[in-house]
Amino acid sequence: MSIALDTSRISRARSRAAARRHAVAGGLAAALVLGFAAALYLGDYPVPLDGVIRSLFSPLTGLTDRGIDFIVLQVRLPRAILALLSGAAFALAGIIFQTLLRNPLASPDIIGIAHGASAAAVFSIIILGWSGLSVSLGAFGGAVLTALAIYLLAWRNGVTAYRVVLIGIGMAAMLAAIISYLFTRARLNEVQQAMAWLVGSLNASRPGDIVVLGGAMLVLVPAMIALLRGLDAMELGDDTARALGARVEINRLGLMLVAVGFAAFATAAVGPVGFVAFVSGPLARALLKGAGRGFLHASLVGALVMLVSDLLAQHLLPNTQLPVGVVTGACGALFLLWLLMASGRSGRVN
Amino acid sequence: MTAPVSDRGRKAARLGLGLLLLAMALVAIALLSLTTGARAIPAETVWGALTAYDPASTEHRIIQDLRLPRTIVGLLVGAALGLAGAVLQGATRNPLADPSILGINAGAALAVVLGVAFFGMTQLSTYVWLAFIGAGAAMLVVYAVASLGREGATPVKLALAGAAITAVLQSIINAILLTSPRTLDEVRFWQVGSLAGRSIDIVFQVAPFLALGAVLALATARLLDGLSMGDDVARALGQRIGLSRGLAGLAAVILAGAATAAAGPIAFVGLTVPHVARAVTGPGYRWILPYSMVMAPILLLGADVVGRVISPPGEVQVGIVTAFIGAPFFIALVRRRKLAAL
Amino acid sequence: MFRISALALCLLAGTALPSFAQAWSYTGGDGETVTLDAVPTRIIAHQDAAAGLIPLGIRPVGIYADSPIEAAKALEGLDLTGIEIVGTAWSEVDIEKVAALDPDLIIGEWWDRNGAWSGGADVEAALAPLAPLTGVAASDSIVGMIEEYEELAASLGADLDDLAIARSKADFEAARAGFQAATAAKPDLKAVAVYAGADAIYFADPAGAAELLDLRSWGLDLISPEGVDAAGNNYFETVSWENADKYPADLILVDNRSASTLQTALAQPTWTLNPGAAAGQVTDWPAFWLRNYAAYAGELEKLTAAINAADPDLAP
Repeated sequence: MSIALDTSRISRARSRAAARRHAVAGGLAAALVLGFAAALYLGDYPVPLDGVIRSLFSPLTGLTDRGIDFIVLQVRLPRAILALLSGAAFALAGIIFQTLLRNPLASPDIIGIAHGASAAAVFSIIILGWSGLSVSLGAFGGAVLTALAIYLLAWRNGVTAYRVVLIGIGMAAMLAAIISYLFTRARLNEVQQAMAWLVGSLNASRPGDIVVLGGAMLVLVPAMIALLRGLDAMELGDDTARALGARVEINRLGLMLVAVGFAAFATAAVGPVGFVAFVSGPLARALLKGAGRGFLHASLVGALVMLVSDLLAQHLLPNTQLPVGVVTGACGALFLLWLLMASGRSGRVN
Repeated sequence: MTAPVSDRGRKAARLGLGLLLLAMALVAIALLSLTTGARAIPAETVWGALTAYDPASTEHRIIQDLRLPRTIVGLLVGAALGLAGAVLQGATRNPLADPSILGINAGAALAVVLGVAFFGMTQLSTYVWLAFIGAGAAMLVVYAVASLGREGATPVKLALAGAAITAVLQSIINAILLTSPRTLDEVRFWQVGSLAGRSIDIVFQVAPFLALGAVLALATARLLDGLSMGDDVARALGQRIGLSRGLAGLAAVILAGAATAAAGPIAFVGLTVPHVARAVTGPGYRWILPYSMVMAPILLLGADVVGRVISPPGEVQVGIVTAFIGAPFFIALVRRRKLAAL
Repeated sequence: MFRISALALCLLAGTALPSFAQAWSYTGGDGETVTLDAVPTRIIAHQDAAAGLIPLGIRPVGIYADSPIEAAKALEGLDLTGIEIVGTAWSEVDIEKVAALDPDLIIGEWWDRNGAWSGGADVEAALAPLAPLTGVAASDSIVGMIEEYEELAASLGADLDDLAIARSKADFEAARAGFQAATAAKPDLKAVAVYAGADAIYFADPAGAAELLDLRSWGLDLISPEGVDAAGNNYFETVSWENADKYPADLILVDNRSASTLQTALAQPTWTLNPGAAAGQVTDWPAFWLRNYAAYAGELEKLTAAINAADPDLAP
């Protein structure tokens, strides 16, 4: 077998992988655009298609219709933007943790970070009687403190993925117990309010949330891309990575911080919306069929899952609007199940 | 596993002695559970209630109607959860596997939520069958989904399918709880996981399943040891991978389903006790399984006793206390030892 | 289409423009005064406010409830035909449906204890851009709240001298007189209000429940538990079923928001440790949901019958 033949085969495989990456990204982006348009058009308040378009351009054209503008610009648009941003942020948090900890179950909604945010939020709703923005701040603090605690507890001459995961689920169990305890000790209305927050909702999409989350992502995404180089070495395994020395440890810590940031900011904005963080990475990799790490694709998948779930949550049942978190679980999971059933090889769904 | 052959006998003797000590601790905890409660009842009155029951005595009624059933339920549920957790972790070779990850808790919870919301069932005794059926159905679906494809139910596929099914079920549960406060009000107490208010009828309902599940689980020890070497090695040694996983899964669903039916979803015990057991015994399911089976009810009943006295005049549910006692202990253990990867 | 946007335009403009004629003004339970150019007619109401207003002849165009309508105890027996339901879960409201209804006014209830409007801050934030939000405050007397609803309804144009309204008020007065006579006849009768869960029995503190304070003021000797649970905002004392006889009473009132609460109580082996429960002297506690005279009269008659039938000498 000649070397020339070999390199040409490799380069052909590479270009096939690149084509696949672009095709998947393009398909996801197209689906996102469609979903975004549907989110602006659909609703109980009747707005014709040209009304939506006129509203969107009204800041430029000056053609206003205050009733329609309120619905399109102040209700539907912020909601759709927040769905995109939070979906992407959850997805990135999930795929970073899953990759660093090398366990598909190790997404922030399973290893305790979402639990930290939730326990803090439920505590602030039920015991402190807070609501709105202060609950979001509490949730953010809870997520960051929990992540810090997990990391410090797992530290012992460095951290191993295995220790982080186990300590994370230990923390998750304790925090879940706090939530359950508060649930049994509160009035039903407060339990309902806390429950609604725990499921996660885009109903109260405030412009402030978009600014904060969007700003955070402007910092976090470039930081993630810069740190990702080190990740390639880490994926080879702890021992190999250790051989590369302390730089890898710093990279790992940096990436974890970035992932915690994604999870904490997204959770503060929309609540601990379930399963988006868990499912986006595996879905993206399944679509890519080994043609890449899938971080960009995972963020597109996360945004799409969130957007489609919110459309379904609002319009699936007549006369009942559900919070988005009810549907993300079902929507993301059905997609994952379909992939599991369709793929013959387990390695692809990992 | 690396120990020289000559050490094997000594190791077995040491582990056997340890198991005996644990069993004695379990008996002590059970006695403590009978004598401890929100109401102070002297030990001789407790003895009297067990040997010469007087229905006219308030104290005797409390022992017979409340403490005895909850102690028995605690023993059974604890043992079942410990075994189920160990078997599931062995079968899926995932340290995060436990009944809640594989859809069993969510299946049980959804069945109970549906029963409360649409069929007006509100009593614990009716929950038992619902929870059992729900747990079994969920686990079956998880296993069926994971088995599709050429390789059958690999650990990763089982874990992913379990998490996916759990998410679907949890979505439905959330949708119902959010739109039906009455159901939320009923279920929030069941969902904590508790031994309180369980009558002796519940013991009779679940005991046969627990016995069957325990026998089946203990019988899978050798199969789990085979699986722990990896699918390829096990297959090369002539083990039937699919059948082994199927048997282990069946044992786990019977145990975890019945336990969840009796006490509600208690997430922590099945997850962590096997790790503690493994830290003591080393690898080898012949010892991990019985250790898990005895350690788990010590944790569960001990937690229940603490929960009864910690915030008088009320009680704290056992599901909460297990997490609060168990989690720091578990975290300390993870820090101190290099736990064996599965 | 034009009508809707034109109305919305007026509505949105109305909040910005100075008002020439202050045709309607009301000071809500939160202390804020809402002033509108005209008497509001398109009202969106929280379920409890709707339960207070509908019997007085003020029909909202939309109701946001804390649960599916059939489970909302406060709305039981009220005619809701033609009223759009814009929310069926606590803290969730369909903002587009509300906008499409062109509301002039949102009426909720102010909970001083939590510093929030009914439905929670999310509902308040969602509704605030569409119309001003006001309403009565949850207080320490249901009768007092009903009187505030009368005042609010009158300002909205209700005719309180209407025959049906006057009759249901008279029915209530008669029921209250009957209740007072029954409690006066049995001064030794001790009562306690409970919620029964599978894990514990919850003894209600009357100080946290307006209807219990009413009943006490009309002569019912209601027990106040010694240690209320701070985590539950001091509404209840949580007690182990081992101590179900901690507050022995002749008459036990069981929370009737859900019928299953009583079933749960009856299924506990130690429920009958309490003398009132052992003698079957158990009746309904209309917990937190009464908002009109008709419902109140019905609940009072049940309570009166239970007191008349009860043996008042069971509890020490």
